[in-house]
Amino acid sequence: MTLSPMARDRISAFWMLLPTFLLLFAFYLYPTLYNLELSFTDITLLQLRQGGKNVGFANYVEFLQSSSFLDIAINTVFWLTFVSVSMMLILGLLMALLLNSQFLRRIRMTTVARLILLVPWATPPVVAVIAWRWLFDPKHGAINEFLMWTGLISDPITFLADLATVWPAINTIIIWNSTPLVAVALLAALQTIPEEQIEAAEIDGATRWQQFRFVVLPYLMPTLSILGLMSVIWTFNNFVYVWLATGAGPGTYTNVLATEIYMRAFIDMRIGYSSAIGVVMAVVMAIFGSLYFRFFGLMNMQEKLG
Amino acid sequence: MKNLLKWTVTATVALSASGALADTKLTFRFNDSEREEMRAALDKFEAANPGITVELQTIAWNNARDQFLREASVGRGPDVVHIAFVWTQEMAEAGVVLPIEGLTRYGAFPNGFEDFIATDLTVYEGQHWGVPWSADTWAMVYRTDVLEAAGIDRLPETWDDLLADSRAIQASTDSIGFAFPGADQVWFPFNYYLWSNGLSIVTEDGAGGFEIGATVEELAEAMDYFRTYVDEGLAPRSILSVGVPHDPALLQPLLDGSQAIAVMPTNTYRQLLSAFEEANPGAEVPFASGVMMAGSQEPQTHLGGRTLVVNSNTKDPEAAWALVQFLTGADLFEEYYSNQFPAQRTLLDQIEYRPEESGFADQLANYTRTWGAYADSGAGVGQLWNLTARAVATSLSGQSSSVQAAEGLVAEVQRLLDN
Repeated sequence: MTLSPMARDRISAFWMLLPTFLLLFAFYLYPTLYNLELSFTDITLLQLRQGGKNVGFANYVEFLQSSSFLDIAINTVFWLTFVSVSMMLILGLLMALLLNSQFLRRIRMTTVARLILLVPWATPPVVAVIAWRWLFDPKHGAINEFLMWTGLISDPITFLADLATVWPAINTIIIWNSTPLVAVALLAALQTIPEEQIEAAEIDGATRWQQFRFVVLPYLMPTLSILGLMSVIWTFNNFVYVWLATGAGPGTYTNVLATEIYMRAFIDMRIGYSSAIGVVMAVVMAIFGSLYFRFFGLMNMQEKLG
Repeated sequence: MKNLLKWTVTATVALSASGALADTKLTFRFNDSEREEMRAALDKFEAANPGITVELQTIAWNNARDQFLREASVGRGPDVVHIAFVWTQEMAEAGVVLPIEGLTRYGAFPNGFEDFIATDLTVYEGQHWGVPWSADTWAMVYRTDVLEAAGIDRLPETWDDLLADSRAIQASTDSIGFAFPGADQVWFPFNYYLWSNGLSIVTEDGAGGFEIGATVEELAEAMDYFRTYVDEGLAPRSILSVGVPHDPALLQPLLDGSQAIAVMPTNTYRQLLSAFEEANPGAEVPFASGVMMAGSQEPQTHLGGRTLVVNSNTKDPEAAWALVQFLTGADLFEEYYSNQFPAQRTLLDQIEYRPEESGFADQLANYTRTWGAYADSGAGVGQLWNLTARAVATSLSGQSSSVQAAEGLVAEVQRLLDN
């Protein structure tokens, strides 16, 4: 029996994809399914050997009905994700435009500026948080010293302990550490825009803003869309910045889903309950991802741009 | 021929035994800051026990409990582990440590197991599962020159005295009076306040069960006491992000004299004294320690400390036990682990306290209690700790009122007790 060329292609594609599928199964699908299974049990850290018993949806009901759920949701969605990601995208775009500008080329600072930009990105988040904790320190921190020196404040600000400043302080750390990635990616996209198109727009009398709005921005949209999606997922799931900066405090004021999972799993030892929170997080991100793609019509846009 | 066979078998067994001994590698997980000193002690142990080598591991205390539970549950983990007193029963319940009764056949302690304090905290289902290693408690620490400058000539004795003195110190010297860790470890001073007023987070209900040992109003009143320091600016607001008593934000003001009063555990105080002496060689040490504040009743702090446990997965329990015996010896506390107090009565009696440490000695000998009902209730000291510290911190920061924070705490603790 001879196989058609299409069948042969399919078989060879199957064998080539098989290692990837196996790896995905072992390191993604199996842990995900195992986490889902745990979320329906009351297993604790003390029962890892014995296993827990099935409690149905009790963990989900308890979490979604808990008094802290709304605060945690607002902290995660608004403060941690929305504020950080929107600032990252806006500042990243501004930085990319600056790095791609004639002005920097004229003063021969393009290379230096790009190198400087990479420093925060190359700094591991743990180091970034520790460095910023020192900068924010009320007694010895450079920020307070500077503000006191300029006379803007008379008493030091306890950035990480004051309810009014703690979220902006965490956002600052995240934005400082993550924006360079956005800027570098957008810079790469900016450099793909044909000069002729901008020159043509200029000849047609387009203002700077119109050039940006109708020529540059459409070229950047696919990159911005992907960066937006990735930044939301990374930030929404991030544990390090909040935990190391404030330990989810003062009190529970900066508690987010990721820190709630950690506290429930490793302080309260409730592995089953924290697994349920993990599943909720995954579902939220899956819904967000599909809505996001639909909203931006990413595929259509890519087709239009050829 | 028979003799030859006998000799061959004997020689083979002996060679295998010596080979096994030569191959013994233990891992000791030790989480205090005296890593260098402990390594030197282990070198001594290795020299005295040829064939046994010990790898020293250190991880942060914050992660020590769950890290060991995860490892041991899958048949791994260090052979000998340094844990908190109050984790021992949990470890036994999880089945990840060996009972002491089974290990003592490899050798007994010089003064017997009865010589150790707080062994009740290591009991689970009628057996002991850990060896109390070091004992500690918290006490008050004073910068005597700042008190003098503020015109205070006697140490405060009650919580009201402490507040009044703090106000006086700030008014007359502009220094901080009393400051405390306001995040995670506010758990300790908060409990001391409750205990000295006849209250507690969890207590026995008299019918074989457990109940919350304070009303919402009483808990809120205790939170308000500590909140006064923050609201009146007597303690810097930055304490709200201070989780541990050895945080530089708490120790530096004591060292430079801009703070007069603090509360801390024994080893932190000893490190503070050493840091002062290093920075000011030959200078008079302006520190004193005193017992905790009294409320409507006598002052009380917790009898805390560390336990040594042997992992149930150890391949060589005999060698692990030899290490435990070495680590509990008097030499270790004299030469290497000198910031800590041993958890053995005979060794505790031999300690010569510095005059600056008299408060700690008095506290440890006369005014301590174990976590008792907290540990026995099954609620889990770690969980109670986290809930209480978070509730107090929400009140201190103004995130919620003290009454709301106390109501939340009562609801959560009740849920733990019900479960």
